[in-house]
Amino acid sequence: MIGRLLGPRRARQLQRFVRNGKLTILCLFLTVIMFRGYLGAGRFGTPEKDLDDIRETLSYIRRRAEPRRVLEEALMAAQGELKSAENAAAGSNNYTDFDISKIFRDEDDGVEEFRRDPSQPYSLGPKISNWDEQRAEWLERNPKFPNFSGRINKPRVLLVTGSSPKPCENPVGDHYLLKSIKNKIDYCRLHGIEIFYNMALLDAEMSGFWAKLPLIRKLLLSHPEVEFLWWMDSDAMFTDMAFELPWERYKDVNLVMHGWDEMIYDQRNWIGLNTGSFLLRNSQWSLDILDTWAPMGPKGKVREEAGKVLTRELKDRPVFEADDQSAMVYILASQKEKWADKVYLESAYYLHGYWGILVDRYEEMIESYHPGYGDHRWPLVTHFVGCKPCGKFGDYPVERCLKQMDRAFHFGDNQILQMYGFIHNSLGSRKVRRIRNETSNPLAVRDELGLLHPAFKAVKV
Amino acid sequence: MGSEGAFSAQKRGSGGLPTANAAVNGGARSRAASLLPRGRQIHKTFNNIKITILCGFVTILVLRGTIGLGNLVSSEADAENQHLIEETNRILAEIRSDKDPTDPDDGPEQFLGLNDTFSLGPRISTWDQDRKVWLEKNPQFPSYVNGKPRFLLVTGSQPTPCDNAIGDHYLLKALKNKIDYCRLHGIEIVYNMAHLDKELAGYWAKLPLLRRLMLSHPEVEWIWWMDSDALFTDMVFEIPVSKYKDHNMVIHGYPDLLFEQKSWIALNTGSFLFRNCQWSLDLLDSWSPMGPKGPLREEAGKILTANLKGRPAFEADDQSALIYLLLSQEQWMSKVFVENSFYLHGFWEGLVDRYEEMIEKYHPGLGDERWPFVTHFVGCKPCGSYGDYPVERCLKSMERAFNFADNQVLNLYGFRHRGLVSPNIKRIRNETVAPLVNVDQFDIRHAAHHTTEPQS
Repeated sequence: MIGRLLGPRRARQLQRFVRNGKLTILCLFLTVIMFRGYLGAGRFGTPEKDLDDIRETLSYIRRRAEPRRVLEEALMAAQGELKSAENAAAGSNNYTDFDISKIFRDEDDGVEEFRRDPSQPYSLGPKISNWDEQRAEWLERNPKFPNFSGRINKPRVLLVTGSSPKPCENPVGDHYLLKSIKNKIDYCRLHGIEIFYNMALLDAEMSGFWAKLPLIRKLLLSHPEVEFLWWMDSDAMFTDMAFELPWERYKDVNLVMHGWDEMIYDQRNWIGLNTGSFLLRNSQWSLDILDTWAPMGPKGKVREEAGKVLTRELKDRPVFEADDQSAMVYILASQKEKWADKVYLESAYYLHGYWGILVDRYEEMIESYHPGYGDHRWPLVTHFVGCKPCGKFGDYPVERCLKQMDRAFHFGDNQILQMYGFIHNSLGSRKVRRIRNETSNPLAVRDELGLLHPAFKAVKV
Repeated sequence: MGSEGAFSAQKRGSGGLPTANAAVNGGARSRAASLLPRGRQIHKTFNNIKITILCGFVTILVLRGTIGLGNLVSSEADAENQHLIEETNRILAEIRSDKDPTDPDDGPEQFLGLNDTFSLGPRISTWDQDRKVWLEKNPQFPSYVNGKPRFLLVTGSQPTPCDNAIGDHYLLKALKNKIDYCRLHGIEIVYNMAHLDKELAGYWAKLPLLRRLMLSHPEVEWIWWMDSDALFTDMVFEIPVSKYKDHNMVIHGYPDLLFEQKSWIALNTGSFLFRNCQWSLDLLDSWSPMGPKGPLREEAGKILTANLKGRPAFEADDQSALIYLLLSQEQWMSKVFVENSFYLHGFWEGLVDRYEEMIEKYHPGLGDERWPFVTHFVGCKPCGSYGDYPVERCLKSMERAFNFADNQVLNLYGFRHRGLVSPNIKRIRNETVAPLVNVDQFDIRHAAHHTTEPQS
């Protein structure tokens, strides 16, 4: 019919046109569907979302029916009831999917802030040159805060550790931080050591692993009664509860780190020592080394450039920004005459023990040895370097890290529980079982390791 | 073009003879088709095949888009991220479930029957003398240090990760808060994460734990239980132990609510003290029978609901059981001090909004409604999935209480939070070359030391 209207040739052209048009439209339609599948199409959604919607409307969502306990204060009951009724209407009671960053907010409360002058080169604080004298005089004036105590002339130690004030990116991270601090609390209670858990970033320029430097200086100056400051990373755990540090060995040194002399002074190896667990004496010497250590830390160009220097100067160091450990290696290796006589690189026991070579041997240790050695037979500290349970990505598989951290935690916890007559069912198990029955004469019973009333906790009589 | 020409030639040819020619036409056309040169045919087939392949390809792509084989498309980093998240969630689920492959099979749970008796341990009747003898034999572990009695703060939480990550974060912050207070006041902490007694689980778990610690540490004079959701908000205040020299238990509550109204919230067992003595062991023995899981706890719950004012119907809890015990057995009250002159336990709802007002008008060291000693977040339950109050209010208030207390600790170091809801701090005092002046002025321990009365 169209043929008669337009003439045969035109008709054919039109037919061809229509055929091509149909093909084009078909292809276009398919392309659109394809793109919707990949990129989504805004409010038109993706096919997956369609599937989910369908699933939701068709399925039955069971309301959770947990019994709820309400313990209300009678005195506040009148107000409390009203308020909670209001609030229940105002917000959800469900903790899952709540974004905590909604709550955090900086506010100005009117108290004056002091800032560091950014035009000046970075420094931890004004130079103090007579700290030893200042401190000695203060200690004399304050006999109630001695820096040495106990029958065995033990120095007063402050263990310092910390973590971020914001929740971990990894949902299990905070749980492992909690276990880690409990582990430290247990060791320190047995050994009469005080703990400072830091959750504040004192200096925005010294962020990350450098944050410990301003903190350490601040604590040394604010606590003159502390003789040794023991920095310990949050991913390090005590696995020998009975080992007491050999304080006598350190009476003439100011800095104790786990490491090997040859690896630092001869090889300049960047992992020749570890700054995840070290002791620093409260003295002028320490303030000086902190001042020498800090310049490579400030975030940004300084840290980047310093990183390049360190990679060049140290053996086997990969390329990344300057870290406190490499900086310390560099300082000791290049300024040996100045510092080395007061630095002790300890390798007789695991002041820091790399977890990779220790965690699989725990059962063997339990069989062949006992707590108190602190060395390869029963490590004092198992340090989970590289696991980074608080962050999103670590250097090792997540499962291995978390499982092994649990094992190390239970390994240490067993030594605490045995004081009270319990033990974990196995190193992987959270559950505990009794190994000593209750008796009617509890004081006659002594725990196997003698940790209930150990000599290193005794008070001077 | 050529074929079209042939066609048009055919058509023109057949134009003049309609009927007969139609058949001829049709026949002519089919003949014409078979008469098409092979090349044309192949060309056409080739075209068809191309179109078929193109359509097939597009179909496959569309199917990929709909069924969602996303990981083949997204970049490697995303894929890795996704994989990591999945693995973490899987491990998390495994950790959270109480199942451990190495645990021996416990078998079905056995509950104590209503006629069974439960005991925390073999009866001890000479604890006061035993303890005295031990202290005399061990002078290097005295029960009084620097004139102050030895305290042990006991707290704890579940061994599994909380139902959500924010719960663990606030457990961590609450523990840091307790560490700070205890360091300033020379108190030791025991943080328990083990279920010592299968039957006394949940809020009852503190009973066997307290008994065990008292018996293992005779050098401890006062044992202080504190819930994991309670925070210290007055870092200077010290418990006035001299007030309690004739008492063995100190608990926050209101005597009128207790004796006149017999209310189930007359006392709060979220923060209380026990002296380490025979009386306390006896009280624990009398307290525990309502605790064992199962029919015993259920029945006990009914009794408590019937006897205490305002108590909802649920299984027996330690707080109601203690109130009922003190009301029904008269021998205990003489040694129990019901404290409300300071907030040994301070219910959070009436306190958290007033922190700014407190900072303005008062100062730390008061411990009461002007500057509460302890702010206790009853009902918030951040470790579970649901609390009794809106989540945002609970978490915001906990953050405020934590920072309110942390400011008192950071004061010595010359820092302060940027507002009560901020994790960030600001410097409020410059570094100096004579830091010990500030130490003398701001260290809480020196203030506390000077106000402590000497022990005779």
